[in-house]
Amino acid sequence: MALWFLRGLRRGVITTRYPARADDSATALPTPPAFRPEALTRELADRLCLVCPSWALTRNGDVLFFDAGACTACGRCREMAPEAVTTSGEFELAATNPAHLVKRIPLLGEGSS
Amino acid sequence: MKPDSAAACAGSAARPASTAETAEALRRSVARQFRRSLHIRTLDTGSCAACEQEIRLLAAPHYDLHRLGFFFTPAPRHADLLMVTGPMIRAFDIAARKTYEAMPGPKLVVATGACALGGVYQPDAFTHGGIGETLPVDVWIPGCPPSPLALLQGLLVAVDRLAEKVQDLTFIRSGGHR
Repeated sequence: MALWFLRGLRRGVITTRYPARADDSATALPTPPAFRPEALTRELADRLCLVCPSWALTRNGDVLFFDAGACTACGRCREMAPEAVTTSGEFELAATNPAHLVKRIPLLGEGSS
Repeated sequence: MKPDSAAACAGSAARPASTAETAEALRRSVARQFRRSLHIRTLDTGSCAACEQEIRLLAAPHYDLHRLGFFFTPAPRHADLLMVTGPMIRAFDIAARKTYEAMPGPKLVVATGACALGGVYQPDAFTHGGIGETLPVDVWIPGCPPSPLALLQGLLVAVDRLAEKVQDLTFIRSGGHR
């Protein structure tokens, strides 16, 4: 439970102070994955692309392209490869250009190049 | 106004490098007009209603978007910002165009949720698989559904009160895994 909620119940004000003050309560909700390039190989990247239900992951050569806009934060990639995929904890993802949401993840794992 | 805009057009034609800067300045000046009063019309183009649940929560006391000068309106003619959810089903093309055309200018369009951003559905006979090709989108808010705070940040980015953050994120986490 967010701290501002408890504090608000005590004081009678339960409104968040965001954006004047940071509020990380949204990070308790599912957030997009973050990747560890050292643990990613081509084979693993291909398996991650297959397991993604929303076409957020594609591989081109030694680069994994992650479209944060297409990601539904379902957690299937993290479940499949917990050593290579973690939770990013980012929720402030609004973009003025959809190209800003597509991230390049280099594949630096053994046997990837 | 007309000679100015004509001069701006001529200038941008002569110096193509500054076109992006001119567009950015124009976007900022439009956004500044809405800083303290922005009326939002939501448009559901075939979403599962999860995004609508989160949008509804924006008006709840926890988030209270009215304190920031945002208001919901049921009429597109009163709206400054169109908040579109869903993958834009083709049956909705005419209604979406009419809604957009009914809004007075200057107007903003915010694509909300992974469907609207082209994630969940691929283009097929029934859906465009995203609203990008149907409406001119100004701000894209990812999430499935985006949490109310994510929506709030998107709205504040749309009116230029917060800077875009995602451009600098890498989604790369080096070191030991958690």
